[in-house]
Amino acid sequence: MIGKDCTHQGHSRGLRRMAAATMLIAGSLLAAVPAVAEPTHLSFFSWDNEQVMKPVIAAFEEANPDIRIDFSNAPPVNEYVQTLQTRLLSNTAADVFIIAAENKNALIDGGFVKDLSGYDFIKTMNPQNRAAYGADGKAYGLSLASWGGGILYNKALTDKVGMTEPPKSWDEFLALAKKLKDAGITPYYDGVQSGNLMPLYALIGLAFSKEGGNVDQKIFSGQTSFEKEWTGPLSLYAKLYDDGLISRDVLGLSDDQIVNEFATSKVAMMGAGPWNLPAIRGINPQIEMNFMAVPGPVSGESFLSGAPSPGYAINSATEHLQQAEAFLTFLASPEAVKLYHKSSGAITTTADYKPDLDPALAAIYAGIEASRIYLPMTSWPRAQDALHTEMVAQIQNMVAGGIKPADVGKALDAKLADSQ
Amino acid sequence: MNIDRNVIVGVALPGTVPRMQTLRHWWREAMARQVFLLPIAVVFLALFLIPLGQTLWYSLTDFNGYSRALRFVGIKNYVRAFTDPSMIASLGYTFFYAVSTTIVVTALAIPLAIALNQHFLGRNAVRAVFFFPAIPSIAVLGLVWSFILSPLPSGAVNTVIGLVGLGSVPWLSDPMLARLSTVLVSVWGQTGWHAILYLAYLQSIPSDFYEAAAIDGANARQRFFHLTLPLLAPAVTVSQMLLLTGGLKVFDLPYTLTKGGPGYATTTLSQVIIRRGLGEAKFGEASALAVVFMLLVLAVVVAQFAISRRLERRL
Repeated sequence: MIGKDCTHQGHSRGLRRMAAATMLIAGSLLAAVPAVAEPTHLSFFSWDNEQVMKPVIAAFEEANPDIRIDFSNAPPVNEYVQTLQTRLLSNTAADVFIIAAENKNALIDGGFVKDLSGYDFIKTMNPQNRAAYGADGKAYGLSLASWGGGILYNKALTDKVGMTEPPKSWDEFLALAKKLKDAGITPYYDGVQSGNLMPLYALIGLAFSKEGGNVDQKIFSGQTSFEKEWTGPLSLYAKLYDDGLISRDVLGLSDDQIVNEFATSKVAMMGAGPWNLPAIRGINPQIEMNFMAVPGPVSGESFLSGAPSPGYAINSATEHLQQAEAFLTFLASPEAVKLYHKSSGAITTTADYKPDLDPALAAIYAGIEASRIYLPMTSWPRAQDALHTEMVAQIQNMVAGGIKPADVGKALDAKLADSQ
Repeated sequence: MNIDRNVIVGVALPGTVPRMQTLRHWWREAMARQVFLLPIAVVFLALFLIPLGQTLWYSLTDFNGYSRALRFVGIKNYVRAFTDPSMIASLGYTFFYAVSTTIVVTALAIPLAIALNQHFLGRNAVRAVFFFPAIPSIAVLGLVWSFILSPLPSGAVNTVIGLVGLGSVPWLSDPMLARLSTVLVSVWGQTGWHAILYLAYLQSIPSDFYEAAAIDGANARQRFFHLTLPLLAPAVTVSQMLLLTGGLKVFDLPYTLTKGGPGYATTTLSQVIIRRGLGEAKFGEASALAVVFMLLVLAVVVAQFAISRRLERRL
């Protein structure tokens, strides 16, 4: 036993010596090789898909080899909002994510997003984009684009009734619709089912801009009401249905069906946004179409439906603040904005890059750039989703002939009071 | 169960050893049974009881789905649930959808099952055709049917109606027709599946019964009402319970077909709950709605079960 133990001890000592020598050699070798730093992984949760963001991320990683972007996404709006909400609750939210009109209040009030006011990259933003994702003078989202929508018309069909230039007033627009109807052409479809009511939002925006542009704040502070401010524009919009220029069948049409009807020249005009153009050109590459701004009640006045696009926000709990700052700085650069515009078709509004747009958008680009755009949901300071749902339901009731324009405003006032 | 007092106190008196062995054997058997139940008990606890407890707690708070800083608000969320116009409208539509779907599917599926149980050429192919609508996602069916039932003259159904010289029907743009359209598509999608369920029960009825009834001079109507229907009663109970619970929880079909409109005409309770919790960031209110909804579903299912059992006994 003793001899065996001695032998075992001898083996152990030998092994220890060998191990020590090996470690010494390995240590010397490692010391001789220059250390290669592992790149920092920055997580980014987007609602644009990978195809859209891939060129931007690739360019960023090439310019910043020490940072790797871990990309994930969920489609807008509800799925994205729900996923982000779950991740924030479980402390697994990405370092950089999207702040949207639908969740900005919850994110800002809950302290989930970092104040970006002091950064240089904020300076390239359009002031309207900055205001959309800000609160109390601070900026929380880097919004690089805006969208604007109006009335898209099929030139071949409007030529048939002798339209040489877009109508200059709402009455002229109604007269054009009547001419088309008399000629046996369906004049116009609107997204009443989805709530994409481009002319109505533009008419409200125009009315509000004439009052100084802060009407929503006054409604929410109780100085005025939806009923008082909305009944005028709603009455103008309701004329389309009351005069029989649009069939009430639009209540049962999805946006895809409207696009299909327009692309196949079954309807002369539709309420549309820039996102509709690729689908229409995909169905009918030969179609000649143009946007027109929504004409107002007074000749020569027009406005657009539209809003700043969602912004990029930095998670206030991020452990990679420096890398997140570098990423947002890059996203705001002309190089990244150009790449994003090319991959997404978005109408970018940064100061140092002019996007190359679809020709159909030419007539409304100046309005977008000048921020003559309005969308109720992004202008309401709170209760956006509750009010939006109520608004769509009540406008559908109005289009169905069940209620009057003033009743829509009353219902919205009641909903606002309920959400206090 | 009688348990020997001596065994309980653990004192082995003469003559008690066999009893102790019996008890040990019983205990081992009981434990073995419990072990088999353990996995499903864990699943039930993790996926039902814990979320249910959380929902109950959230329904008494102002939880917004983002911040863990909750404030206890008592029954405020429950009071709001009963005064919300969209909730009341959706409650009416959801019950209309669930009850009418259950009645129509049952009325169509039983005769269809009897027809599919007959011998005829291509029977299996016909069974497959009727079962097919149950295979695709109901959301996909909703999208396809929104084109079929388009209120435009170019809609598939309106095109056919136009061929016989009639005007277009506003299937999805008139509130009442929109409600009926959702029921129609649901019936189309579910009748085949429930017919196959009835068919399985029909095939378990011994043919001797029908032969004896025929010898006794029973005609087809009498055989159906006095033989087939009573023996199908358990299947009716199962089918109706599935239809009712599915109908009350429905979200996908009306949403993809009409987006809940026009107005709130086809808005379901599930849609209101999801929108309140996620869209409006009012998890507390959504949880209160979910609790009320769960109790309503429970009450309806218990009533349906009690009525079905009573009818089964009467048949």
